[in-house]
Amino acid sequence: MPETIAAPPELYSASPDGIPKLNGGRCIACGYVFFPPQSYGCEICGASGDQLAPLALKGEGVLRSFATVHLYQGKGIEAPFTVGVILLDDGPAVRALLTQKTDAGLKIGDRMRTVLVGAVPDEGGAGANELRFTRQELLK
Amino acid sequence: MKKTLRELRPVYVVGIGLHKYQHLSDTTYVTLGLTAVRAALNDAGIGWPSVESAYTGTALIGMAASRPMLRHLGATGIAMAQVENASASGSTAFRQACLDVASGISDVALAIGVDKPAMLNGAPGKTRIRDLVGARVAPFTHFALLANEYMNRYSVSAEQVAQVAVKNNRNGANNPFAQRRKAVTLEEVMAGPAISGTLTRLQCCPVGEGAAAVIVASGDAIEKLKIDRARAVRVIASVSRSERVYRGAKNNDAELTRETVAQAYNEAGIGPADLDLIELHDAFTIEELLYVEAMGLCGEGEGAAMSASGATDIGGKCAISASGGLIAMGHPIGPTGAGQVAEITRQLRGEAGVRQQPNAKIGLAHMVGVGAVCVVHVLQKDA
Repeated sequence: MPETIAAPPELYSASPDGIPKLNGGRCIACGYVFFPPQSYGCEICGASGDQLAPLALKGEGVLRSFATVHLYQGKGIEAPFTVGVILLDDGPAVRALLTQKTDAGLKIGDRMRTVLVGAVPDEGGAGANELRFTRQELLK
Repeated sequence: MKKTLRELRPVYVVGIGLHKYQHLSDTTYVTLGLTAVRAALNDAGIGWPSVESAYTGTALIGMAASRPMLRHLGATGIAMAQVENASASGSTAFRQACLDVASGISDVALAIGVDKPAMLNGAPGKTRIRDLVGARVAPFTHFALLANEYMNRYSVSAEQVAQVAVKNNRNGANNPFAQRRKAVTLEEVMAGPAISGTLTRLQCCPVGEGAAAVIVASGDAIEKLKIDRARAVRVIASVSRSERVYRGAKNNDAELTRETVAQAYNEAGIGPADLDLIELHDAFTIEELLYVEAMGLCGEGEGAAMSASGATDIGGKCAISASGGLIAMGHPIGPTGAGQVAEITRQLRGEAGVRQQPNAKIGLAHMVGVGAVCVVHVLQKDA
């Protein structure tokens, strides 16, 4: 499927504190917290249906690793761009695009938070928002 | 009560054959596959009518690959089926052939890996479970992220990771079936082009076309068909696992390999110190360091130092990817796992020429497939 934005809007929600939350899930049967959300069945215990409940995860965590992608021929973005693995304070590790194009100044262990960036061109050229992670210190 | 492969009827590799791994060409998969199977039959010294079941490891050709290829050896009516297990398709075809012989269902079985590059949408992209990155994280970025974490945790440099490509290209340069046949310097590897993170082009495996065939047989068949027993290599463990949820800050890829290889050691009754050679899933350089540690060949974070010591070179304690591995021999997907078994067999027979690991007695074949799965076999020179 051609992708103009990497992060579909159903994966995050606005938050009063201005830090978008991630729409994760929690297994009521075993307590496992996961992202992205799904209702097929719990990867730990196999519980399904009503046992898998939505859970909003705080869009904050610690950078576990990062890589600047130099080769990309898909839609919506041009290389280079930088991807990170963020260990969320609420448990799961997620992979996301970072706001910075290159890895300049990035360090493993950096505090990260979600941010909506605008004007990512979509197929109609109208632009769409996209969720990315950014270094918290850049926002101070 | 359940049994391991070793507790069933002994299974021996008796024939190997390959078609060179190469860039996509106009050669049909039929020609690729038949070249490898005929070479394997010739190597075993048996005719096609002796083969009683066939498994074709392939991921990219499409439905129903086996009979349109194998009928040209003579349509004998034998059981045949395709085996798809992503990058581990050839390994899984080999496992199925081994299980046929071990169970007594067949006396002689064939595993043939064959593929041609094709852009297909894999099933993992059809679950409708989206994530935050989609196609922007290709496999090379998945491993670039793991490389970044590894280098930071153990103070290993990008050059130390890249050194794996120097070793494996040196080995591949001596392998007539390899897609990359040129020794390269560290400077050439580091010079790029950059692909993702610190990974450069020569640190990523080429995906081309090719074929690898392995014929396995029972002891009875070796007697009956007058196969040279001295060149037969016994399969002493076959383990196939899939990824679990490894909680905490663990590396899923390393953990899957750790538990699959641990089970293989247990079934074979060996430990890492007993291995003379390993054909390892080095689709990207960093994987070799992660997996040699997960296999217990050295401690965590010691993979680069072990590699620098020469211990994983041909002639070292345990040669890693004497064939050139996925990085140099290539990774045509379906053939790759069967090609690993062919290399280990060649080595254990003492027929690997300039690539020969001296006195090789026990070898391990290791493949990982996206999804994720891991398939491991242990082969031993029959004493």
